[in-house]
Amino acid sequence: MPIEKSDLLQGTLDMLILKIVALGPVHGYGISLRIRQISREVLHVQQGSLYPALHRLEKRGWLQAEWGASDKGRQAKFYKLSLKGRKQLESEESNWNRLSGAVANIMQTAQ
Amino acid sequence: MSWWKSILPKRASDAQMDSELRFHIEELTDENIAAGMTPEEARRRAILEFGGRERFKEEVRDVYRIRILDAAVANLKSAFRFIQKSPTFSITVILTLALAIGANSAVFSAIDAILLRPLPFPDADQLMRVDQYNPKTSSPLHLVAPVRLEDWNRLNSTFQALTGYYSEDVSESTGPLPERITRAWVSPRFLEVWAVSPMLGREFTPDEETLHGPAAALISDGFWRRRFNADPNIVGRNLRLDGHLTPIVGVMPPSFSFPDRETDLWCPVPAGLSYGPARLNNWFTVIGRLKPGVTLAQARANLATVQAQLGRQFPKTDGELSVGVEPLKETTIGDSRRSLWLLFGSVTLLLFIACINVVALLLSRSAQRQHEISVRFSLGAPRGALIVQLLTETFLLALIGSGLGLFLAAAASGIFRSLAAQLPRVEEIHLDARIVLYSLACSVVVTLLSGLVPAIRGTRRNLSASLAQSGRSQVSGRNPLQWLLVGIQVALAVTLLAGAGLLLRSFQQLGRVSPGFDPTHILTFQLSMNWGETGDMKKLRQFTDRILETLRATPGVEAEAISVGVPGVPFRYQTELKLMEGRADTEPKIVAENRFVSASYFATMRIPLLAGEVCRETDGPPTVVVNRAFANAYFPGAPVLGHHVQSMNLGYSGAAEIIGISGDTRETGLDHLPVPTAYWCAPIAEPGTYFLVRTRNAPMTMAETIRRQIHDTEPQRSVYDFAPLEQHFSDALAEGRLRTILLTFFAATALSLACIGLYGTLSYSVNVRQREVGLRLALGALRGQIIRQFLWQGLAVCILGCLAGWALAWVSTRLMAGLLYGVSPNDVPTLSAVIFLVLAVAAIASLIPAMRAARVEPMHVLRDE
Repeated sequence: MPIEKSDLLQGTLDMLILKIVALGPVHGYGISLRIRQISREVLHVQQGSLYPALHRLEKRGWLQAEWGASDKGRQAKFYKLSLKGRKQLESEESNWNRLSGAVANIMQTAQ
Repeated sequence: MSWWKSILPKRASDAQMDSELRFHIEELTDENIAAGMTPEEARRRAILEFGGRERFKEEVRDVYRIRILDAAVANLKSAFRFIQKSPTFSITVILTLALAIGANSAVFSAIDAILLRPLPFPDADQLMRVDQYNPKTSSPLHLVAPVRLEDWNRLNSTFQALTGYYSEDVSESTGPLPERITRAWVSPRFLEVWAVSPMLGREFTPDEETLHGPAAALISDGFWRRRFNADPNIVGRNLRLDGHLTPIVGVMPPSFSFPDRETDLWCPVPAGLSYGPARLNNWFTVIGRLKPGVTLAQARANLATVQAQLGRQFPKTDGELSVGVEPLKETTIGDSRRSLWLLFGSVTLLLFIACINVVALLLSRSAQRQHEISVRFSLGAPRGALIVQLLTETFLLALIGSGLGLFLAAAASGIFRSLAAQLPRVEEIHLDARIVLYSLACSVVVTLLSGLVPAIRGTRRNLSASLAQSGRSQVSGRNPLQWLLVGIQVALAVTLLAGAGLLLRSFQQLGRVSPGFDPTHILTFQLSMNWGETGDMKKLRQFTDRILETLRATPGVEAEAISVGVPGVPFRYQTELKLMEGRADTEPKIVAENRFVSASYFATMRIPLLAGEVCRETDGPPTVVVNRAFANAYFPGAPVLGHHVQSMNLGYSGAAEIIGISGDTRETGLDHLPVPTAYWCAPIAEPGTYFLVRTRNAPMTMAETIRRQIHDTEPQRSVYDFAPLEQHFSDALAEGRLRTILLTFFAATALSLACIGLYGTLSYSVNVRQREVGLRLALGALRGQIIRQFLWQGLAVCILGCLAGWALAWVSTRLMAGLLYGVSPNDVPTLSAVIFLVLAVAAIASLIPAMRAARVEPMHVLRDE
């Protein structure tokens, strides 16, 4: 069953976007596609959450955006990670790892 | 979308957002087609999956939206709710601020109109008043001889033009009854200097400005409306001025009221016209317009050079003269500057006191709102947002207050006019955008002054956390901050009261002054005359005698006299006198006030003659009476009578023998000590001469009789300006009365605000300490002890406040030194009386809450616990 945004932990979507964008410049549609593919169709990001998140991250200076042509030659807005965004991703990743490790530990130990 | 959102910058433009979304939808459509849908179905599904595009764009926009305005609107809404929820509190704050901001704006509107704004003429800062004066006499004899004006105008290089004028009253007789109107005689270049043109008709022609040229008059807007009902075809109509037909050539615009708003018409005087020795005949007030870019110092230096040149050319008449150049605005404002700033200072103190009151109210209010605030904190509101919200509430109250205060400010011009009609430029005071802006600025300052401290204290996190649960068991009622505020209020109120008290004492002292003459039962009036008549002195003398005889024959008149200037009303005519018998160079020069009176003046005014006899009106050698101050100053211990003096500036008076010494009188104003004075007996009325009549009954009851009697002998002249002498005194002191009344009002308001503050703070203290009081009463404390305790709590703060106020008053009343009469700025009886008054009122304000504390029912309170 796909998990929608509301079920995602607050802040997790931002981290996922940063992570996808870290792989290389990509447009909004590409990001939603990648999240779907990589999560094997478990995570479906609603457009209504994706674009506000993208603009928010851009405003904070973690993403940089520029217009370019897509594979099919359409005009699309491509996002790429800024230096600030890379640092943010690193700290969010390590936080996430600590948190998920801790949660996993509890879940296993308490069994 | 709400309107305010549209005014905010949108960082992602709509077009860009659209293309970004379009791309996404197209890619989705492609994906759906690849999954096997028809293109239409694929697109429909893509759009469906995407959801509402507008809502979505809105969410993206939200990312960029600056939230302040949204927050401000929300804050305002909640502030309105707050005001609705607590009407008593809000009304108290609003009224306090309305009074304080309104009074402040009212005084400011006077300051703005009188001191700050330029005079209502084009490029008014170029306008200068130019005087001639003799530096050897202490007061300037400012009038200028028309010939000299022409010299200055011709020889200077810093003025565009110089002009002069003289005002006199004239009777106009084209109507059913002769009407007294005010005419200004103006020299050529008059309109050029003012840079004002007639609204109707034309300016004077050069022809009209030459001797024996055609007569012409420009009339004022007021006269045009009053007398001719604003008739548009007025130009060309004739007036009969003192019997001479004079055609109206134009009407001046309503804004033009120079020399004053009484002026009805302007007539041209030929350049340099004179009725006596040309260079001694001083009768013009001179105004000049500087060339652009010329400074005051340059103009002064330039005219000094010009006058020095004239001094070499005419050593006898011009040798000792200097030229004074002052901005016209300064000479117009005169001494009212200090009064106005004094009032502004005191009304600003009043505003401070009101702010402090509001601080105290808000502090006690925020104590009651602890619960609300701690709830908001726990819901995650940042402290900054809460402070802004509390400030918004205060601002809203201040705004409403200043709005109400504008009604007070709107009444300002009426108040100032009725209290002091003589105040310069008083007719220019009115409510306009500047005053509204000023009130608005006041409300912002008030918000910060009175709202910030309560907002910061009220949102202290630890405080709110602890108080949220301790509402019931709190014992301490000590609020050092609130008591400090009460103390400051008392101190400021004492300062204001001290100022008001000193002004009141000055007035009282003035009332007790003996002027050296008897001002009761004296009626004064004037007759319309013109300077042209002074050409025939003999005829003028006969005329004067005729009038005085008529008065003497009028039943109810005990004595009658004439005088240039009204005794006891400020009027300076100081000159240097030369002693014909010679005087050592080491002795001080003789400088005296000159008064031109009829011989009957001394009897009419009941001025005692100490030695010699009254001056003679005969045609023989002139005689003069001097007062005791003159004798003491210039002939200490030596005989005075028999000496001969000649005025250096009064060319047409020869050497006169001093034949009498009169008692000292306050000729130059009740608030001025008697100065050395020479009375010249000149039984000849001139324009501006006052007739003084001692009446048996109340002076004004005689006015009609006298008017009729004079009309019978002199039907061509109008009789006007009937007033009891004491009325003149009152007018002369109008400015002093204005500041006294207003300052007293401010001080009384300050005192009541301070007492309300004291009352409120003590009541609050009583409320929170009810349980403690109940407990003590239950344990056997006497009610008297409780009353004493609370009374003392209030009074102790007031006593400290009074001490601080005494110190403050000690320093600040020095600023009033020049405004006081007969009382020192640090007058101990006044200050003591003020402090006694404050303590008495404070005791009453404290007694009420203290009594309430003592009425606490122990059982009642303890049961509540």
